[in-house]
Amino acid sequence: MKNIIKQLTTLAILCIPMMAIAGGGWPQPKGKAYIKLSEWWQISDQHYTSAGFIDPNVTLALYNTNIYAEYGITDRFTTTVYMPIFSRSVVNTLVSNTTKQVIEEGDAINSIGDAEISLKYGLTRPGSKFALAASIKLGLPTGVAAGGINNNLQTGDGEFNQQVQLDLGRSFQAGTASIYGNLYGAFNNRTNDFSDEVRTGLELGLGLVSEKIWLISRLDVLQSLQNGATAESITTSGIFANNAEFTTLGIEANYYFTPKVGVSANVTTPLSGKIILAGPSYSVGIFLDLSK
Amino acid sequence: MQYKLIFSALLSTLLLGACIGEDFLDDRVEPRLRLGIVPDTLAVGDEFQLVTRFTNNVGIEEEHLPIWSSSDEEVITVSTEGLATARDSGSATITGVISYEGIDYSVDKTIEVGDTTIILPDNPVRRGSIMPSSFYDLEGEFTLTKVDENLILSFGDDYVADRGLPGLYLYLTNNPRSTQGAMEVGMVRTFSGAHDITIPGDIELDQYSHLLYFCKPFNVKVGDGLIEE
Repeated sequence: MKNIIKQLTTLAILCIPMMAIAGGGWPQPKGKAYIKLSEWWQISDQHYTSAGFIDPNVTLALYNTNIYAEYGITDRFTTTVYMPIFSRSVVNTLVSNTTKQVIEEGDAINSIGDAEISLKYGLTRPGSKFALAASIKLGLPTGVAAGGINNNLQTGDGEFNQQVQLDLGRSFQAGTASIYGNLYGAFNNRTNDFSDEVRTGLELGLGLVSEKIWLISRLDVLQSLQNGATAESITTSGIFANNAEFTTLGIEANYYFTPKVGVSANVTTPLSGKIILAGPSYSVGIFLDLSK
Repeated sequence: MQYKLIFSALLSTLLLGACIGEDFLDDRVEPRLRLGIVPDTLAVGDEFQLVTRFTNNVGIEEEHLPIWSSSDEEVITVSTEGLATARDSGSATITGVISYEGIDYSVDKTIEVGDTTIILPDNPVRRGSIMPSSFYDLEGEFTLTKVDENLILSFGDDYVADRGLPGLYLYLTNNPRSTQGAMEVGMVRTFSGAHDITIPGDIELDQYSHLLYFCKPFNVKVGDGLIEE
């Protein structure tokens, strides 16, 4: 097989930054930081078609070991870095159920993934009732866009993108519980013939037991502007997937072992999509919260 | 230290689990034995080499020497190697049988023996229609003809293929469930309307039974079309 399997990791590559959108409308205080080491993975043997229906595929998987960090440069400027320090993309071997012979050999690649750096500016004063922040995020093509024996696996999309985003957050106390909500909207300008994207989302958090436990739910929507290339307009022999879309719902639990150290677990599942894997992703992590 | 141990254990489990696994494809098809070109009339004294083509339970061609017989050996005899010889005027039915997985598969053809050998041309046009096996757009009527050394695959105005599907490839195959043993025609470049595809390689018109549309990135079948006799 020559030009094979690289697009179903698209969801993985698109979704990973979602978990990096932490902080919402609240920048870090000056000199404060938040650092998280996590393992993220997605394995699926089905995908959403271009019409949004679910079809089977050979099992594909992506495993990422990530470092995510926020640092408050000032009380209003926060810089964040997201770096998949180890990324492994896998496609299973396809075997004949009749003869038990291999039809297509499986393959795997290991590399770093696509990194992101961003700068957030708090448009409202710290302590305001509503927290409004603007940020710009740069997606760096540090992963492998075409790897493996047949150049068909990827740990990155191979394009440099720039995303501008607005976050609006609100937090309050309800008895002993802490509650926050955050809305965001973003425009992602993509290069290399990829369609631009509009991203929106809602995050709700509930802090319990003196904020030792945080339960978080996230709804993320990605819509393609369909202004890039399609399979029809590509004249090379390479494989090109574009215009992926999805709506995902994520549930996350965070537990602070100490006032600064905790662990987190997340599961995110697509509710709908196009040209993406139709399976849940999972992550577990350990974090150091120096913002308190 | 407890959380570090937990996290290390999780990471180790994940990395060990990140091996390349195996997926199994139900790719069984009915084995087929086909007879090559056979004269309709064979002149007395003439010989003709009979040829068969057998595809196994996954659509892969296998060499099998049939056991040949004639319904009337005074008219036509057939050697163990499949060489038919016309002995006398009349007609006889020649039969070839092979055994595969305990089942007999046979082909037969009635041949007249006369004054001259006549080989009628095979049907010069095969046709069919493609249809999706998944939730992607794929439909249209087609014809398959042989022109010189090439096969010409022609689609009509009703042809549609999904534009949003990356890596859609067309194959000729004897197993519409798998690309194993299939001949890759190439990446689909035209997504609607009438068009022709030239397939070089001196492929026989009846060598394959199906068109197969397969998405390489998703490693999944998108649709197929039976190439009718």
